[in-house]
Amino acid sequence: MTSLPLTRSGVQAQRSAGGRVPVRANPWPGRLSRVARLYGPLALYGLFTLIPFYWMLVFAFRPAGSDRPVPWPLSFANFDTVWNGVGFSTFFLNSVLVAVSVMIATTFVAVAAGYALARFRFRGKGVFVLVLLCTQFVPGAMLLIPLFVIFKQIALINNLGSLIVIDTVFQIPLAAMLMSTFIRGIPFELEEAAMLDGCSRLQAFRATILPLMQPALVAVGSFAFIGAWNNFLFALMFISRQDRFTIPVGLSYTLGQYNIDFGALAAGGVVAAVPVVAVFAVVQRYLVQGLSAGAVKG
Amino acid sequence: MPRSLRSTATRVVSAALVAATALTLSGCGGSSSGSSSNGVTTISFWDNNGGPTRTPYYQELIKRFEAANPSIKVDYLGLPADSVQQKYDTAIAGGGTPDIGGVQQSYVAGLIARNALEPIDDVADSATLKGNIDPKVLDTIRSTASDKKLYMLPVSVNLDILWYRSDEFAAKKLTPPNTWDDFFTAAQALTDPAANTFGFSIRGGAGGTQALLSIMYAYSGVQTSFDSSGKSTINDPKNVEAIEKIAALYGKETSKADVTNGYKEMSAEFDGGTAAMMVHNLGSYADHQKNLGAGKFAAEAMPAAPDGTRTLVANAPDGFAVFQASQHKAEAKKFLEFMLSKDSNSYWNQNVGQLPSNLQAQKDAWVQANPALKVGQTTLAASTTHIVDVPRYLPQYGSIVESQMGPKWQQVLLGKLSAKDFADQWADLTTKAQADWVAKHPG
Repeated sequence: MTSLPLTRSGVQAQRSAGGRVPVRANPWPGRLSRVARLYGPLALYGLFTLIPFYWMLVFAFRPAGSDRPVPWPLSFANFDTVWNGVGFSTFFLNSVLVAVSVMIATTFVAVAAGYALARFRFRGKGVFVLVLLCTQFVPGAMLLIPLFVIFKQIALINNLGSLIVIDTVFQIPLAAMLMSTFIRGIPFELEEAAMLDGCSRLQAFRATILPLMQPALVAVGSFAFIGAWNNFLFALMFISRQDRFTIPVGLSYTLGQYNIDFGALAAGGVVAAVPVVAVFAVVQRYLVQGLSAGAVKG
Repeated sequence: MPRSLRSTATRVVSAALVAATALTLSGCGGSSSGSSSNGVTTISFWDNNGGPTRTPYYQELIKRFEAANPSIKVDYLGLPADSVQQKYDTAIAGGGTPDIGGVQQSYVAGLIARNALEPIDDVADSATLKGNIDPKVLDTIRSTASDKKLYMLPVSVNLDILWYRSDEFAAKKLTPPNTWDDFFTAAQALTDPAANTFGFSIRGGAGGTQALLSIMYAYSGVQTSFDSSGKSTINDPKNVEAIEKIAALYGKETSKADVTNGYKEMSAEFDGGTAAMMVHNLGSYADHQKNLGAGKFAAEAMPAAPDGTRTLVANAPDGFAVFQASQHKAEAKKFLEFMLSKDSNSYWNQNVGQLPSNLQAQKDAWVQANPALKVGQTTLAASTTHIVDVPRYLPQYGSIVESQMGPKWQQVLLGKLSAKDFADQWADLTTKAQADWVAKHPG
């Protein structure tokens, strides 16, 4: 007897001929099958992703000189080094201030720009969108010197304001595009109904659109926060005062010319990662929704 | 959005905006260069390798300087070693250089070429320092500039040496290599691929060609970078022989992973017990001391050439430079003189594990008690030691050595390029760059 291969077309051919479909025996019974097909790959992927984090925690909490694969006995000496010795207590506050400000400014501008792109027709709109996209192709390092000169002329060198401005400017294009895609997915009739009830455009936006935009606000805000939190180049170049550096510059202090303090580097990595992980933990349920907005709309 | 969440969000937004605006408006602007007020002059000092292993000692020295000079205040800024050149480049182009900064000779030529630095021969000739800074190192620094002036002064003296695992040498009853024959014999004897232990660690990745220069000139004993006709000596037959012999160790007496070794990987092999010997400067002493502890490692001068002479390629020293744009050059030079004075120089180098540049400080008991630094000091002072000044003044030097020849050195290790072709290409590029430089700097 010749058995047909178990393909969709083969099965359909047998069904249409009224024959019995041969069922290949499942080599994994019941629960085991689910474990092998679903949880197995997930666990592998999880391990692949989490092992570097585990090592970071081991190095951060392990006492100096220990080579145990577990961080026991727990030691906070590395955290003391980075927090008090390297100066993370100051760098952390600076980073929080910059990242939160960039998050707010980016979200605000992106909402306004996204709304305009989604709801209005105006001359040059296509070119504007193209220019917006093109700014993403310019690496920040290329703009260092002109930006340095501009910031110097407006007295923003050695000022966290320069980081807030430049990080916001670099975040806006992508954020505005994302926001406009999301707003386009919200029916205009909702605003129209509010305006028929006497609302101005701004009132209609606040009453009908803004409450629906939570996922997009979260996605754009968290991306802006993380982008600003991780920015090393601008923080190093536009700041020349020790008490105004941010976390990424502080992390680089643990990498000397001839030596690396792995314990301090890992502890610094934990300090740097905590706010980002916390942000993701809070916003993760909105994030996928915000990022995929408009993805399947015609 | 729930009302409570909305009001919290509003408060957060308002607070952040107010804070950001306040910061933006209140921040101090202007250049990084210092300022004067109330009779106190503030000078800015950038450390080119900031971090917890160096910053506290600089801060202590600054405290001592300010106590001795109440009219001068020093603003310290530690910079990450990997990014310091980019920071200087941006500051020079944008006009925000410090009054005084930490520099390495390897990139000081580029700063001189852009007129960013102030000549500081007068500091070297000051009452405190005259005759007290190692003259061989000063000559090396002078060779960086076409006008032969001093644009930096060294804080430490450095040279390449052979680091070896004294515990493994003792276990195999080997003596530290004095000649290159000893070196190759020891490399073979200390190799046991089954136990993943190798006699030597080759630096095939970042910085590998610079390390190779040290090895090949030490092996060949060739004492100049150019012959009398201006031709590079890199492809001298004895140098080619050295390249062939070192490349022949790859994969046999070295790990195959060495082809991508930078300093950190090479040092990790040495400290981790995979490699029994490595060539690096005194800068790695603190690393070995921390990772291995005393008694497991030692330093030996680079093996001698067949005629008994030791030829060292001048190591780019770490030091300080005063910037041309400084408004307070006198104060900056005063600080520089203080930093290189005997007590400050000794304090600094003792804490970072380097050999002081101040000859008086080199006589201190802690230097004599440190075997690795003692080897460095003795080697430099020996009459049989010759220093080869590599042409770091060439604008293309870094590009030739690292960017162009670095990948080709890896090809040599992998057997895809012959040592002769490699040396010829390197010599041709260097000879041409030298000819261009001579044409632009007649006399």
